[in-house]
Amino acid sequence: MFEFDWYSLLLPLAYVGVLFGSLVTFSSLYRKRKAIASATLAPWFPPHLQRNIYLSLLHLDPAEGDEKAVAVPQSVVRAALLRRATEDIHRIIQIRTAKQACATLLQRGSVGDDLWQRFLRAEKEMEDELRDVVMEANALSPNWGQTIFQSANEIAANTMLRDRLDEIQAQTESEKQWWEKRRASIQSEFMKELDSSAASSPTKIPQKAGSEDDTILVESPTSTPSSTRKRKGKK
Amino acid sequence: MSSTDYSYDDQGQFFPFFIITIVAVFTLPLTYNVLKPSSEPGATAPRIKTDFRPKHAVLIDEQKRAQKKRERKLKRGIAVVVGWAVMFFMAYLIVVTARTQTKIWNPYDILGISESATEKAIKSHYKRLSLKFHPDKVRPDPSKNITLESLNDRFVELTKAYKALTDEDIRNNYIQYGHPDGKQSFSIGIALPSFMITEGNGKFVILVYALLLGVLMPYTVGVWWYGTQALSKEKVLIESANNLFKEYDERTTEGGIITALSTGAEFKSILKGEKAESGQDKLEARILAEGEATPLAGGLTIKDRAKLEDLDGGVRRKALGLLWAYLGRVELNDQALEQAKVEVAPIAHALTQSYLAIAMAYGTVGPILNAYRTMQCLVQAVPPTASPLLQIPHFTPATVRAVEGDARTHLTVQQYMQIQEARRRSMTVGKGLLTESEYDTAMKVVKQLPRFQVEKVFFKVAGEKYITPGSLAFAVVKGRFVPPGSTNVPEVNELDLEDIDPAEDDVDAILGRKKTPAKGEAPVADDKPSQPPLAFAPYYARDYSPRWHLFLTDSKQDKMAVNVHTYTQFEKPIFDESGAPTYNMQTMKASFQTPPQAGQYTFVLNVVCDSYVGFDTKVETILTVDEASKAEEIAIEDEISEPDEDSLAGQMSMLKNGGAPPPQRRKKAVEDDDDDSDESNTEGEVDDDTSETNTDTDEE
Repeated sequence: MFEFDWYSLLLPLAYVGVLFGSLVTFSSLYRKRKAIASATLAPWFPPHLQRNIYLSLLHLDPAEGDEKAVAVPQSVVRAALLRRATEDIHRIIQIRTAKQACATLLQRGSVGDDLWQRFLRAEKEMEDELRDVVMEANALSPNWGQTIFQSANEIAANTMLRDRLDEIQAQTESEKQWWEKRRASIQSEFMKELDSSAASSPTKIPQKAGSEDDTILVESPTSTPSSTRKRKGKK
Repeated sequence: MSSTDYSYDDQGQFFPFFIITIVAVFTLPLTYNVLKPSSEPGATAPRIKTDFRPKHAVLIDEQKRAQKKRERKLKRGIAVVVGWAVMFFMAYLIVVTARTQTKIWNPYDILGISESATEKAIKSHYKRLSLKFHPDKVRPDPSKNITLESLNDRFVELTKAYKALTDEDIRNNYIQYGHPDGKQSFSIGIALPSFMITEGNGKFVILVYALLLGVLMPYTVGVWWYGTQALSKEKVLIESANNLFKEYDERTTEGGIITALSTGAEFKSILKGEKAESGQDKLEARILAEGEATPLAGGLTIKDRAKLEDLDGGVRRKALGLLWAYLGRVELNDQALEQAKVEVAPIAHALTQSYLAIAMAYGTVGPILNAYRTMQCLVQAVPPTASPLLQIPHFTPATVRAVEGDARTHLTVQQYMQIQEARRRSMTVGKGLLTESEYDTAMKVVKQLPRFQVEKVFFKVAGEKYITPGSLAFAVVKGRFVPPGSTNVPEVNELDLEDIDPAEDDVDAILGRKKTPAKGEAPVADDKPSQPPLAFAPYYARDYSPRWHLFLTDSKQDKMAVNVHTYTQFEKPIFDESGAPTYNMQTMKASFQTPPQAGQYTFVLNVVCDSYVGFDTKVETILTVDEASKAEEIAIEDEISEPDEDSLAGQMSMLKNGGAPPPQRRKKAVEDDDDDSDESNTEGEVDDDTSETNTDTDEE
């Protein structure tokens, strides 16, 4: 047997040690940082106001000096839960529509990975939230859990529709004003035309035609070019 | 030859080879990268000629120059020069360094005789040489550097060579090992200079190695990796893309998109430090002041203002303010603010690309169209709600007001140009409006704008008469570039409207290769695709090449049906050398898979130019997908002569296509060349409708 020089092995061993040591440190640091980053990811949705209202109604602490907390009527609690369910419906719709798009965008590299992480977390939270709502509903009145989301859905759809209607309705005032003004200006123009002699009218006609064009809404100006072109084509 | 373990590259014979190879590996691709002509479509595009200079043109030009400088790849250029310098130096070293060649031991050379010499000749030759070179015979001559030793060596060599040729043993040695003394020690050369191996230098070498492998490589890989991670596919910061995704709203308006764009992380880099807040009040006071044409000077709607005022202070709010100031062309009276205003637009444009990608992933039409419109607005510096006429140079909100009156809907540029020349001039020129010369400049520019006028839209499957389910079809758009206000536009040549398939044996054309002119044939006049001129965007701090986007939407579901096909260049020239429009018929195609069921499908075909406001075209079309059997039938009919109606085959075919006699159907097909119109007789009315809508172009 030959003498083995253990000292000469020291250097390679140190090399391997340093290599693996640095890899391990890097990986642990990286993981830690990633965990912190994912823990501090901004939530997808803003704070759930309706849920907070509901929970604070349930756990109403007695005010200072009072012996007993103010008893919250059952109807109010139920209404609060229904509100919470409605908000959940809004959020679920948002998640459902975003999921497909988010997945394709992630695949293409158009959005980042942390967005997807946030999204998945929001999805999971929503699942828990739904389960929680169902349980709460069942606790408030038996079997309500099965129907609460149906009513919430109706309410959500209705609110959305009403919002849109309100938006359109809100424009009426300005539209009305504009039309009044417009009518006044057209009227005054007519009066001017009538007042002036008939000889001067030809110069006015194009002006009038132009303004009429505009009052007949969108179609008239758009159809003009195409119709002229069609004529050209048929020549 | 040394018999020690390794020989090192003491004279530096091989090291230059090593370095030249390593350097070349990096330098050659880099050289190609630097020298390769820019693939940017705008690099060679013509420009719209005008002497119009907007206010603050100096700032805008400065930005453009800065951008060009950034694109110039200066660092890479220097690296290439250094690389080539190193390579030339190494090549010089290689040439200069004398190579110590290991000579092959050759007894004939030593004796100085030819290899064909016989043994006898060798013997006599050796005898003569030994007489001449024997150490006893020759006097050492110090002046000629001949010593006793060298003489001895010489004679020994000669004897060895002679023995190798005559003595049996030595000859065997020579044949086996190439040397009369038997096996020689061989050496392994390492192309490293000996200083790297020398005792004591080892630790430095290890240090360099550790630095290279342990620090430099992880660093470069990290920089590269995080660099690719930081940018999305649309070349915006991933953080911005994420924010935009969060801001996506199906019912958004252009103003809503502008608000969403302000979440871009890119703005942080131009609004650093105190810039994030400075001048905020002044800026907002100015954009929220009462405007001439729009309720607010910045062109915001009431909703947009509410959104702006809801934001917390900081970069986002300032960026949004600057964006609106840019769009509304609001004078800010502050050098720093003006500069920032010019800077935000290209950033916002890049962000809109990202928003567009997100909108496409959702597939809802509204946001996609709005994103395109936002792009147009950003390039032209026109607020989304304002008139497209503001694109014309010298036009101010006051001018637009004078032209449009107090109408609710805006005139597009082409509608404006359709007004009679004299009346248009009288409307536009006046006190507080344009001067005569300004009007002339404006008209000159307008007549150079490339507006794509759709002439015909149809669907087809290459080489087929009918569109069958599940086949690869094309939506073909035929159109011409007709600048607004161009007079005496030639009539459409009907032949141009047809899309002729290349002949079946014309492989080149089918594969899209260039036609090689046959013998005797005149070479094809230049086939180079023509680029439209750069967008006329005097306020936008980049040279932007306009793009045309073609896509089909499903109006019933409000979803995208056929993805966007983008055109940056066209097959025929758009303008001739003198800058006059050629009115050549251009073709755009979008390929898609036809639906699996036969029937009629309504689509809205959109042609959107992303650089000019109001140049978009929307056409409603109907795609008629026929049963697959119909196409087969045609194939049979083509082969066999038409069966008579009273024959059995004729009756069969009558039964097959619902009683419509084949000859008549044929005629119909000739009558209207729209491939999408239904050919069966029973639906004659529908037929007319489709052809009507096809030629009808609704401009928006």
